[in-house]
Amino acid sequence: MGRQECSVPSPGAWRDRVRAGVSQLAAAGTVLVLFIYLSLTSDAFLTANNLINIGVQSAVVAIIAIGMTIVIVTAGIDLSVGSVAALSGVFGALLVVSYGIPVPLAIIGGTAIGAIAGMVNGLLVTQAGMAPFIATLGMLSVARGLVYIVTGSVAVSGAPPVFKVLGQGRLGALPIPVLALVLVAVLGHFILTRTRLGRYAYAIGSNVEAARLSGVPVKRYLAVVYIISGTLAGLAGMIAASRVNSGQPNFGIGLELDVIAATVIGGASLFGGEGTVIGTLLGALLIALIRNGSVLLDINTFYQQIIIGVIIWIAVFWDQYRRRRAAAR
Amino acid sequence: MGVRFSVSVACTAAIMLTTACSAVTVPGSGPSGGSKVKASGPVTLAVVPKAVGFDFWDSVRKGAQCAASKTADVKLQWDGVTAETDVTGQVNLLQDFLTRQVDGLVYAATDAKVLAQVTQDALSRDVPVINIDSGTNPQPSNVPVFATDNLAAARKAADLLADALGPGEHKIAFLPFQPGTVTNDQRTKGFKEGLAKYPNLTLVAEQSSNSDPNTALSVTENILTANPDLDGIFAANEPGVIGATNALNQAGRAGKVKLIGWDASPDEIKGVASGAITALVVQNPFRMGFDSVNAMVQTVRTGRVASSEDTGVTFVTKENINDPHVQAVLQPSCAKPPA
Repeated sequence: MGRQECSVPSPGAWRDRVRAGVSQLAAAGTVLVLFIYLSLTSDAFLTANNLINIGVQSAVVAIIAIGMTIVIVTAGIDLSVGSVAALSGVFGALLVVSYGIPVPLAIIGGTAIGAIAGMVNGLLVTQAGMAPFIATLGMLSVARGLVYIVTGSVAVSGAPPVFKVLGQGRLGALPIPVLALVLVAVLGHFILTRTRLGRYAYAIGSNVEAARLSGVPVKRYLAVVYIISGTLAGLAGMIAASRVNSGQPNFGIGLELDVIAATVIGGASLFGGEGTVIGTLLGALLIALIRNGSVLLDINTFYQQIIIGVIIWIAVFWDQYRRRRAAAR
Repeated sequence: MGVRFSVSVACTAAIMLTTACSAVTVPGSGPSGGSKVKASGPVTLAVVPKAVGFDFWDSVRKGAQCAASKTADVKLQWDGVTAETDVTGQVNLLQDFLTRQVDGLVYAATDAKVLAQVTQDALSRDVPVINIDSGTNPQPSNVPVFATDNLAAARKAADLLADALGPGEHKIAFLPFQPGTVTNDQRTKGFKEGLAKYPNLTLVAEQSSNSDPNTALSVTENILTANPDLDGIFAANEPGVIGATNALNQAGRAGKVKLIGWDASPDEIKGVASGAITALVVQNPFRMGFDSVNAMVQTVRTGRVASSEDTGVTFVTKENINDPHVQAVLQPSCAKPPA
C-alpha cells in the first residue's frame, strides 16, 4: 500500500492518494474490528481451517471484483458478471461432460466465453455508444438466457474428479482458488498502478473529455477494460463450478451486487477515477467475514443482507463526505 | 408475444367485470361445478406448470402427455412462463388459454392469492380446474389439488434423520432454500414439527441456501466450523443438498454427518450411492401430471369433480435405491405409468 506512487506525483495526485488511502484504512479498520469481535465471540473462528475457508469463500467475489474495480475506475459498471460467470461455469462443465474436452482446455474455454461476453459489452459501450449500465444490463439477461438454453435449466453434472482441482485442490497448504486470487490481485494491482492501461483508466474515469483531448485512445482502452472484467468473471465462474463439481444454471444470480459492494466498500467511486485492488480485496474480505461470522453465530439470513446493505451505505456516505470536503477546500 | 399480451390486457378488463359478478353466484357451487359435460368428441386441456425448463416440471409434462396419449380424443396444450416468480406472466397465459376456450385447465399456481382470481374466472366460464403442486387461497371446493403433502413429507424427513442418528444427544443443522415461498415454509414447518418429537436432537444452525449450491457449500462449511461435533443435516431442496454434499466430502465428513435431502437429481442419486447422502425425500412429479390429466378427462366427460390427491413421496436410501418401485419413481416411463 505504501509504494504505489508513480515517478513524479503532482501535489493533487498526492492528495488523491492520501484520500484513497484513508478510505482503505476505513475498510481495513472495519475488517480488523470484525475480526477481533468474531475471535472473541466464536471459538471456531480463529482456526486455520476456518481462515482457509474464508479465503476460499471470498475468492470468487474478490476475483470478479478486481475486474469490476478497473471498470469502475473508468466510471463504468459491469452488471453482467453474475450471469457471465454462470455461463462460463456451465459451458466449461459441458465441454468436459458432453464433449470430453480435457479439463485444463475446458477451463480455458469457459474463461474465454467470459472474455467474449466482455468483448461484446466493450463493443456495445464503445462502438454502439451505449451507457455501460444499459449495455451490461442487457448482457446480464442475454447471458442468463444462454445459460438456460445450453443447459435446459438442469445442472451439468458428471464431470471427472480432475474437474474439482481448480475449486477444491491445494498447492501445499494454499487452496487453489486463493492462489488464483493472489495471482489475479497482483496482476490487477500491477495493471492499475504500473501500466499505461491503468493510468488511462484513471484518466478516462476522472474526465473522459480531457483524456480524449490529451490523446488517450479512449474506445480501445475501454473495450479492453470490459474484456478483463468478463475474463475474470469467466475464471471465477469456472472456480465456482469446480467447487460444486457441476455447472449450475442458477449460479451467480445477484452476484453483481456483492461484487459492486466489495468494490465500493474498498473505496472505489462509482463516479470514476478512484479505486484500488487492495481496497477491493478488503471489501471482498469484509463481505466474506460477515457471511462467515453470521453462520458461526447462527444469525438469521435476512440480517446478513441488512448488515451488508448498511455497510454499503456507510462506505458511500463516507465517499461523498470526502468529496464534499475536498470540493470545499 | 406482442399479440398475446394485448389480447390478455383486453381480457383482464373483461375478467375483472365478470368475476366481480360471478363471485356472487359461483363459490361453493355443487360438485358438478357447473361444468359443461362433453361425453364424447375431442377434448383440449391446458396444462400449465409454475415454470418450464426445470427437471421437476419436465417430469410433470411427461406424465401429463403420457396420460393424454393413452386416452382417445384428448389434446394437450403445455405452456408455461420461464421463472416461477413470473406471476403476472402466468395470469396472462392462463387467461389466453381461457380465451381459446380449452375444455379443462390443469395448473400449478405461482401465487396462491393472485391466481385464485383466474380459477374463479375459469369456473364462471364453466371450465373445470385442477391444481397441481400448488393450489390457490381460497381453494374452491370444486377445484381439487394434486400435490405433494410437503408438511407431512418434511415431518417424515425429521423421522428419517432421527432414525439415522439413533438415541443419544445429537446436534443438527437445517438448510431451507427460499424463505417466504409456500413450499419452503411448509417444509420448514413440517420439519420443525417433526423435530419436536425428538428432544435429543438440537437444531444448532438454520441457514438458507438461497437455492444456490455455492451458497449452500459455503454455509455448510461455516456450520461445520462452528459445530465440529455436528451429527446431521436436513437440506430442503436440490441445490442445498448438492452444496451440503460437496462440503461434507471436502471436509472428510461424508457419511459421518447424516444428510437427509430432497428431490432426486443425478448428483443426488450419486450421493446416495456413495453414502454421502443418507436418504432423499423424492416427490412424484410424473404421477402429478399423469393423475391430474386423467382426473380432468373424467371430469370433462362425466361432469363429476375429482377429489384431491396426495401424489406421495418416496424415501430413497442406499438400501432401496434399486428396488423396482423406487426406480419407477426415479425413472418414470410411459410404458409403466404409476399405479
